[in-house]
Amino acid sequence: MTEFQSSATSGSAVDMLGIVKDFDTFRAVDDVTLKIQPNEFFTLLGPSGCGKTTLLRLMAGFETPTTGSILLGTKDISRLPPNHRPINTVFQSYALFPHMTVAENIGFGLKMLGRSRSEIKVTVDEMLRLVRLEGRGDSLVTRLSGGQQQRVALARGLAPRPQILLLDEPLSALDLKLRQSMQIELKRLQAETGITFVFVTHDQEEALTMSDRIAVMNAGKVLQVGSSRDIYEHPADRFVAGFIGETNFLQGDLEAVDGMSGTVRLKNGVRVSAGLSEEAPRHGAITIVIRPEHIEITDVGAAGSIAATVATVVYFGTDTHIHTHLADGTPVIIRQQNRRDGSRAPQTNALIGLVLPLGASQVLRD
Amino acid sequence: MAKAFTHGTADVKKQPGFAVIAAICIAVLYLPLMIIATYSFNAASNIGAAWKGFTIDWYASALQNREFYDAAILSIGLAFAAMVISTVLATAAALGTTRGKRWRGQTAAFVTLTTPLVIPEIVTGISLLAFFAAVAALIDINFGLGKLLIAHVTFCIPFAYLPIKARLEGMDETLENAAADLYATRWQTFRYVTLPLVVPGISSGAALAFIVSFDDFTITQLIAGPGETTLPLYIYTRIRRALTPEINAMCTLLLMISFIFIILSFAISKRRSQ
Ligand SMILES: Nc1ncnc2c1ncn2[C@@H]1O[C@H](COP(=O)(O)OP(=O)(O)OP(=O)(O)O)[C@@H](O)[C@H]1O
Ligand SMILES: [Mg+2]
Repeated sequence: MTEFQSSATSGSAVDMLGIVKDFDTFRAVDDVTLKIQPNEFFTLLGPSGCGKTTLLRLMAGFETPTTGSILLGTKDISRLPPNHRPINTVFQSYALFPHMTVAENIGFGLKMLGRSRSEIKVTVDEMLRLVRLEGRGDSLVTRLSGGQQQRVALARGLAPRPQILLLDEPLSALDLKLRQSMQIELKRLQAETGITFVFVTHDQEEALTMSDRIAVMNAGKVLQVGSSRDIYEHPADRFVAGFIGETNFLQGDLEAVDGMSGTVRLKNGVRVSAGLSEEAPRHGAITIVIRPEHIEITDVGAAGSIAATVATVVYFGTDTHIHTHLADGTPVIIRQQNRRDGSRAPQTNALIGLVLPLGASQVLRD
Repeated sequence: MAKAFTHGTADVKKQPGFAVIAAICIAVLYLPLMIIATYSFNAASNIGAAWKGFTIDWYASALQNREFYDAAILSIGLAFAAMVISTVLATAAALGTTRGKRWRGQTAAFVTLTTPLVIPEIVTGISLLAFFAAVAALIDINFGLGKLLIAHVTFCIPFAYLPIKARLEGMDETLENAAADLYATRWQTFRYVTLPLVVPGISSGAALAFIVSFDDFTITQLIAGPGETTLPLYIYTRIRRALTPEINAMCTLLLMISFIFIILSFAISKRRSQ
């Protein structure tokens, strides 16, 4: 597969620099700066209407930015039409040409690039193998199942060996089982071809499992860029924390700062140490965030613990969710892995102590 | 059963009186045509005469009739030329009004293109007549058949335009985006994606244009110069002479040509859209 290796060797694959996109008075993309690395599986994650598709359309060339520029390597492509950009798209609706066969669809890009018949045939066969559709080249695309059409769309985007492949929620139309197997397939294709993938989804689990890096978006803005682990464990603000997985918010005052961590006095007097990002405030009233599975349960009154009352206990098979509330009414959820040696889970209405381990909580930006 | 539920509304075919109304409509529409066609085989020599026996002599005499033959050739040629020109123009117009950014005056363009459908033919005819007279007064060129062709193209355009526009509007524009994304130029996108997918619309538009031109009477009557006798004009002049079932045979042939075109266009769109 060496012939697939992306030609970009140094620097970013794509740079989005200060991109703004207005539709009349509505700002769909608001000052977005992103540096996407070569050979990266990069995901845009955000709720419906946050501007993910618009950002992809800007990269593909279906829209031009109101201000800002898009660099491919060192070349400014902001104003190039789509057919002059070495970037291909896998559309959410697949957009396969219904009057062409599978092979004609896959070979379309190469044909437009003026490649020879024999070269097209070789590449198409290779693509059919890559997406596991050997022998289906002569089928009409309208006769294929959803999952097969999805793979044709992928092969069609990959066949011209673009520098970037854009994928707009390509899995959202598939059922759960197919979606999971396609997630693995996509990772494999990205690794085998070495093409940079920019993947759009509003499914946080999909984003976490597939991406090298994730950009979390809301209302046209990019709120945080980082690895799955970064985003999950060190969310920068309330939106990111709340959008990805379940989470707990606790109010407190920042008492002391020591580099990348700080001492926070929670409302009930307990002091905890919490991580501080660069944009986080350095003093005053703040909010910390902690994931349910990072909270430990101990006896009530134990040193450094926070007293909480158990409201409900929900059994989930692999783990148990314990819904509690603090003395001032703040809800806190704890997730405990279930063990074979029986129930360590507390009973409803029991009074328990909660421990926030060192480095597990994070001070939010806002 | 399940179907009745999913439709949500009552099935009109099950309403009382539907069968009677449908039968009356069909009879009014097709009985006269069937009588014309049937009596074209009548051996009597008078159009109103009772049935005398079966013959195909009237067809033979119609086809051997030099005037009828010339008129038919003129009509077919004129309709074909008007069809080609108006379909090309209508396709361009449909692309202009359905693709790309919305532009100022797009609605005005749509209205301009389609109002000829509701303008009385006699008005169109007389204004064209006045127009050509004015042009002739300005420049001394004999357009000859060109006048007839221009007139036919004019009133054929909206008929060709509407089905093409409907088809383009029903087509997913993402397909054209996908083509551009895969390095197709504008022309290649049109040639390999838009055009093949819009063929059903073009073929029904073209068939409509052909038929509208082929059987036009009012406007042609006003515009046609000496010797430019189309089939409808010829048949009309014939009724003023002795009426034999030959006229029935001619009408039936006219009808057949129209039918063949409808069936052809139907077959093309059927095959294309699968
Ligand atoms: N051509 C347009 N004209 C006007 N507004 C637009 C246009 N395209 C997008 N928008 C608006 O921009 C916002 C972002 O749209 P976009 O399609 O990028 O969202 P998205 O994040 O892809 O959402 P989804 O997850 O639902 O696909 C939306 O509020 C949308 O209404
Ligand atoms: Mg979208």
